[in-house]
Amino acid sequence: MARTAAAAPKQPVILDVRNLRTYFFTYDGVVKALDGVNFAIRRGETLGLVGETGCGKSVTAFSITKLIADPPGRIMDGTILYKGANLLWGIEREARFKPIPKTNRVKVTRWYRRIKRNLDRMNAVRGGGISMIFQEPTSALNPIFSIENQISESLLLHRGETILDGLLAATPDAPGVKAARAELMRAARTKDINTLREAARAFGAAVHVPSVGTQAYYILRHAWADPEAHEAEIDRAVDRIRFGGLERRYLRRQRRILELGRQLKDVYMREMREARVLGGARRVIGRRRLATRLRSFYFGLWGIRGRVRRPVTQETFWQSVQLLEGVSIANPVQVARGFPHELSGGMLQRVMIAMALSAEPELLIADEPTTALDVTIQAQILELMRQLRDRVGTAILLITHDLGVIAEVADRVAVMYAGNVVEVAPVRELYKRPLHPYTQGLLASIPRMDQPDKKLESIPGSVPNLIYPPSGCRFHPRCPHAMPVCKEARPPLTVEGEDHQVACYLYNGPTYRG
Amino acid sequence: MGSGDSPILLSVRNLRKYFPIRGGLFSSHIGDVRAVDGVSFDVHQGETVGLVGESGCGKTTVGRLMLRLIEPSSGHTFYRPAPEAEDRLSQIYEALGPHHLSLDDGNEKLPANAAALLKELDQLARKYSLYRMTPRQLHKLRGKLQIVFQDPFSSLSPRMLVRDIVSEPLAIHRMGTPRQRYQRVAELLQAVGLNPEHLWRFPHEFSGGQRQRIGIARALALRPDFIVLDEPTSALDVSVQAQILNILKKLQSEQDLAYLFISHHLSVVRAMSKRVVVMYLGKVVERAPTEDLFTRPMHPYTQALLAAIPIPDPTYQRERLLLKGDVPSPASPPSGCRFHTRCPAVMPICSKVEPPLIAIRPDHFVACHLYPAPEGTAAAAAPVDEPAASAAPAEAAAG
Repeated sequence: MARTAAAAPKQPVILDVRNLRTYFFTYDGVVKALDGVNFAIRRGETLGLVGETGCGKSVTAFSITKLIADPPGRIMDGTILYKGANLLWGIEREARFKPIPKTNRVKVTRWYRRIKRNLDRMNAVRGGGISMIFQEPTSALNPIFSIENQISESLLLHRGETILDGLLAATPDAPGVKAARAELMRAARTKDINTLREAARAFGAAVHVPSVGTQAYYILRHAWADPEAHEAEIDRAVDRIRFGGLERRYLRRQRRILELGRQLKDVYMREMREARVLGGARRVIGRRRLATRLRSFYFGLWGIRGRVRRPVTQETFWQSVQLLEGVSIANPVQVARGFPHELSGGMLQRVMIAMALSAEPELLIADEPTTALDVTIQAQILELMRQLRDRVGTAILLITHDLGVIAEVADRVAVMYAGNVVEVAPVRELYKRPLHPYTQGLLASIPRMDQPDKKLESIPGSVPNLIYPPSGCRFHPRCPHAMPVCKEARPPLTVEGEDHQVACYLYNGPTYRG
Repeated sequence: MGSGDSPILLSVRNLRKYFPIRGGLFSSHIGDVRAVDGVSFDVHQGETVGLVGESGCGKTTVGRLMLRLIEPSSGHTFYRPAPEAEDRLSQIYEALGPHHLSLDDGNEKLPANAAALLKELDQLARKYSLYRMTPRQLHKLRGKLQIVFQDPFSSLSPRMLVRDIVSEPLAIHRMGTPRQRYQRVAELLQAVGLNPEHLWRFPHEFSGGQRQRIGIARALALRPDFIVLDEPTSALDVSVQAQILNILKKLQSEQDLAYLFISHHLSVVRAMSKRVVVMYLGKVVERAPTEDLFTRPMHPYTQALLAAIPIPDPTYQRERLLLKGDVPSPASPPSGCRFHTRCPAVMPICSKVEPPLIAIRPDHFVACHLYPAPEGTAAAAAPVDEPAASAAPAEAAAG
């Protein structure tokens, strides 16, 4: 197993979560779901976030992507630095809080305009910056759209410019295409799948649109007997990337609109980085985008739009097929045409991963990606995630309650308990030398395949109610080493050894990060 | 069968459950989901049998069949068969071969005295089989055979106090006066680590682990000798899971309970059970004592299942054995060995002939063509139709 990030010199931090607080305002009182969460993720690293049910793992993930249901939830405080931009900038001006006397309730007054503006800013980060895989693959996909449709949507949203660039750069009539095509037919006659694959790839390279190669491969793959009968289909595959002058102009305009959209996102990012409103820049770009849209709308009325739409949908279809190939789906064309109910949980989770990775995110948040799956399917998905991590180099925030999964995939681990991170350490270090009593208890309570005779220890008691959390260290009512000081004040995160931080009064290293 | 260290409590033989699929015009019967298809194993008094498999393999159905919560399509579960009856049953089943259903089941070669054997089986079944009992007999037995359900959130009535939940079985079986029942409930709660003050609460006031304890207390109320534990910890966190497992172990040693521990979590099964039955798509693929199964798994499916479990130790090195694809639908299971579509060691014969469950070591049974039946055992003689088996590879090579 290659644990690259652990061995390599320290990569820059891409996501830094500091003092994150998320509360839920319910009828029974304020649930302090996250109360000062601190951790950081470096580029290309896999950070495992582990803890029991209700400890705030998923709330952390949803806070980072700002998907907390509001109402009742609100991110109260903290900073989430993504590449230097504070995603929570302006959060304190979104709402006003007033305790209702004689109850535990708090009245929350929200300014929806500000909330909306901040969510718009967040859209600059979603997808291409931070992408997410949800726990339940069966409910994460829309049942009334085909798989291909849903992947295409994500592709067009996040990579529309690249797709249009690819189409504009197509060379269906370049000098090398004829030769590549003859080579392709020859490869089909050899009945060797690898030769065909290579020839198809070369064919795609010749027309400068890789998806045409994929399409040709799937046309010829099951046509060993008579490849010539499918020549018309290959012709159509090449025809779909042949554009006339007006069509090209229309595509370029569409590309311009998308480009302006990206510029707008850049302005939003800059706002969050510099912590100031850049209304002027935003208005200039917005006006330009509107003008271009209006112009191309009339242009599109002449029938150009219809002539361009079809090649674009075909392109996204074949790119979806490529993505499905990338997550080891055996028959990607059928799967892409299919609907979510036709697929099993493991397949759907692969589709979700393909979709999340289609935007080439810097950070992938996987919220219990294998909890709903069987062990053999879980092993397949974990293997896939390991491969993708090594190939794509995305940083992953892996949320799970299964310490076995963490041990298999993660580079570093953050242990959460009742809304706090209690320990952060490299994975080997944590399993060898767990410092926090909760981590120790957690590790001792797992039945081990490799140590069948181990006596199962259990942590007495259960997870506290977060409306009335215990004072001081939230673990002290269940802690075997509880001291008087634990009841009084929250222990700070202290540094115990390289890259190892723990929040417990048993240890008195230097305080982490001031 | 069995090592005979303690008497057999329940003996499951050739159990089948087909759920009909209805559809088409007038909801006619168009097929079957073969949830359980010929499962056999024994549960000895005071010991735990683990039942392992992926979701949809029929684990839970076996558990429910063993309590007669649902009726089987065929097969028997014998409750406390007398030793001589037990021996006779083994002989009858051996003579009939593993695939028999009845005399009408034409595709199996039945011995000449099949009719007599089936008659004798019928007589024994009347005496011992759960499925031949009268409602009155069954009612008496219900107290001895109990179940703890998977989801502690939906298995307790939200309208009943804990006291009522736990004392309901006592009331149904008319055990003791209300005062005695109350005392018994308090005792039971203590045994599962709850306080008597919890008697007057409703289920919603408890956490998942505590609710599961209430479920266990309810199952224990009538002093059963067998409890089906249907994934008792899969809805719980690891730290709470350990609490529940420890309670179950303690109760077992105190009260000489037998468990059927149904789980998809192999490491939990290893920690809990003495024997393990591995199921795949309604069939038993391997059956062995726990240590033997985990140290020397024989069936490729068991091997893959073991290799798939994440070990909570980052330094642990092992080879990866990844299964391809998904579990096929039990409505149209693959021909021959049901695992052949995903098996890494698949041979031509696998898709043609269904492998019988044979003993390759004492007490270690496996259903796989990789392991030819040892000479001289009864299983070797019985099931495989020799010409068909040898013809299959040739056919496959030709086609």
